[in-house]
Amino acid sequence: MYLPGAPIGRWESRHCPPPDAVTRFLFAILVFLCSAGQSWAGSTVQDYQQDLINRATQSRLADEREWHLLLHYKANLLGSIISEEDDEGFFLSSRGKSDPQAELEATIRQFFSSDLVGRSKQPAQCAFIARYRWLKERLQFDEQRLIPQSCERFDRWRAELNPQGVSLIFPAAFLNNPASMFGHTFLRIDQHGQTEQTRLLAYTIDYAADVPAGAGLEFAFKGMFGGYKGFFSTPPYYLKVQAYRDIENRDMWEYRLNLTAAQIDRLLMHAWEMGNAYFDYFFFKENCSYHILSLLEYANPALRLRDQFHIWTIPADTVRVLVDYPGLVGGAIYRPSRSTIIKRKRTLLTADELELLQRIKEEPEFSGDPVFAAQPLSRRALILDLVSDYLRYKSESDNPDMTIYKERNRRVLTARSALSIPSEAIAIPPYTKQPDSGHRTTRMSIGGGWRNDDTFEEASFRALYHDLLDPEQGYTPDAQIEALGLTVRHYNRAEQTRIERATLLNILSLSPVDDLFRAPSWKVNVGMQTIRHRGCRLCNNGVFNGGIGGAIETAFIKREVLFAFAEAEANVSPAYHEYHRIGGGATVGIWADVTDRWKLTGSGSYLRYPLGDTSDDIRWHVGSRYTLARDWAARMEYTHRDRDDDFVFSLQAFF
Amino acid sequence: MKKVGMLAMVGFFLAMQGGIALAGGTPDTGPGCGLGKELWKDFPNAKTKGAQILMATTNGSFGTQTFGISTGTLGCSDDGRWWAEQKATMFAELNADALAQEMAQGSGEHLASMATLLGVPQPQHEAFFAMAQGRYATLSSAGDLSGATMVETLNEGISADPLLAKVVLN
Repeated sequence: MYLPGAPIGRWESRHCPPPDAVTRFLFAILVFLCSAGQSWAGSTVQDYQQDLINRATQSRLADEREWHLLLHYKANLLGSIISEEDDEGFFLSSRGKSDPQAELEATIRQFFSSDLVGRSKQPAQCAFIARYRWLKERLQFDEQRLIPQSCERFDRWRAELNPQGVSLIFPAAFLNNPASMFGHTFLRIDQHGQTEQTRLLAYTIDYAADVPAGAGLEFAFKGMFGGYKGFFSTPPYYLKVQAYRDIENRDMWEYRLNLTAAQIDRLLMHAWEMGNAYFDYFFFKENCSYHILSLLEYANPALRLRDQFHIWTIPADTVRVLVDYPGLVGGAIYRPSRSTIIKRKRTLLTADELELLQRIKEEPEFSGDPVFAAQPLSRRALILDLVSDYLRYKSESDNPDMTIYKERNRRVLTARSALSIPSEAIAIPPYTKQPDSGHRTTRMSIGGGWRNDDTFEEASFRALYHDLLDPEQGYTPDAQIEALGLTVRHYNRAEQTRIERATLLNILSLSPVDDLFRAPSWKVNVGMQTIRHRGCRLCNNGVFNGGIGGAIETAFIKREVLFAFAEAEANVSPAYHEYHRIGGGATVGIWADVTDRWKLTGSGSYLRYPLGDTSDDIRWHVGSRYTLARDWAARMEYTHRDRDDDFVFSLQAFF
Repeated sequence: MKKVGMLAMVGFFLAMQGGIALAGGTPDTGPGCGLGKELWKDFPNAKTKGAQILMATTNGSFGTQTFGISTGTLGCSDDGRWWAEQKATMFAELNADALAQEMAQGSGEHLASMATLLGVPQPQHEAFFAMAQGRYATLSSAGDLSGATMVETLNEGISADPLLAKVVLN
């Protein structure tokens, strides 16, 4: 078959000039070439397919990185190749998941067909447009024998995205939703003609697990072990901003990526192919950030990003990897959460103005009072704007009174619009530096110290992620998640080497309360430690602890957070009668930033255990950290519990 | 009602820009073509905060199905001008609270984005903002702050303003 208008006699006219003065010998060769060309042109589709496959095989295209990126092939632990992709429709060969060559051959064959393939039901040339473009270029497809098909749907989609640039978006960690504890990343396709003010209209490329509504406890398990399917999607940016900034109150960071127009094209073509794909979702490794990296690797195959992540892919770590790559990231733009906006704007008000704010948020009509009307116009606008921000914050939080807040907001805004001046743009600086400036998330420490009448050396490993005594730069303030930690200690006098401490999970979320914000603080800790109890000097002790409380923030030195918790605890140890004790109590304490590098903490607890081994515990703990570099810190900690004193000095490295 | 309107719009958007290919490409030219309507019919019941967060962060059903890739515009009108208008309404419906706030304040990125969707060129944004602020009180006192009504009010405002009418209609 030929395209309409294509010159059928092209081979002859190009290769066969009239043999006027040419030797007979040369003429004979030309005749031979022409007849060869003619028989080629007239050959069957099957022959051309086979020809392309032969050339692809000779060039070993199936072994190239590009093909492996397109099909998401990875070598597994045994060294054999397998695709991370789990949707059968993504492969055109039934053996495609583990056989790159078979998939390549099937793909070439399918390009000759207009049958609809994949979940998106398009001809193969369109459903797998990036594969098609690459193979077309590498094998120099003859458009007369492998006819290009028009991909209207792709063209329209691309036109709607209107791509001009790409940004990586990082909504900061959010402890109150388990799925968001480590943050998230997605791409925004910046549009031609987009301004700072209209980037809301750009589309995004997001990868997320498809979790059925109402998923309960199984959520955590399935999310970690591939029980859900992950899909790519392209929601508009304004929906993402609404979800993260307005509903969850998460700060967002926008990193402009320096990609060429050709790289952006490649990225979009591959993203389009991903519409046929799903991957089993693994919360720690093959998660949102991992698959976003795979898109960027396809955009520019010189980038080797995923190779740096082996067991888990923490979103903030992927941001650091991108920023560390020379020339890839242009700059970071901060988008404050609604609560950050409210806190920052509040510092601009005088004490009198704060009183007006408190009054109007309860009683919008007070904005008509002469006391308020006596304020300068621009101050009135600022106060009403802040009241409106606050009422929107309240109406979007989990509150049974949300309709009351919405109604109040409507009345406040009516008063605001009557002022007839536009709100001035107010710069809202972040409370923490950009996430790439933070320490890496895996920590190793070595240290030494003494305990009671013995001395020891110790080594610690913590897989994830951040505790409140770690350098706080780049991390969500007052939010701690530690997972999978282990400390091994050697006691010199006792001549004993033992597992001193282990952490399965240790989460601490402090939410300082004030006259506008009242969220509870909470903590959960599951792990083991070494205790001295009754006759047992170095005893394993399993700990399950949970607490709820409150915190306040002060600024006497630089920034301090004081907290109090009511808590319940269960311990399991051979040191106890009946091997356990269960009880409860309280903890009070403080975290204090003394300088940018130096942080102090102190806390005291009293717990009483009426069940099991009836006993009580008085503990106190002081700690000090000094940041040496982004990924280096030194600590001193002193812990006292019930005739047991422990002092340790340690040096910590993050990687 | 407001939610029904939004559902219809989102449903439409599904089939227009993303979503799921309609079986056999059967034309269904109404808003909320085909599967979009189906997917979104349960949404109002799920509009508690927990569900919202789940949908927003994990894209439970929100992003993945509604804004899926590779599924094109089968079954819906592809008239560009008509789509541009629907995009403005959809934006207003999905950002009604932010848009109402920024109209009253006479500035903000949602309002600027709205202006862009309505075809107001950048140099005239300030005039558009002032017009929007002026019309907020009428809108609010009528008690209807739905996205569709806001778009209607803003369009009326553009037509009634000689300067804006000139730049937008040209």
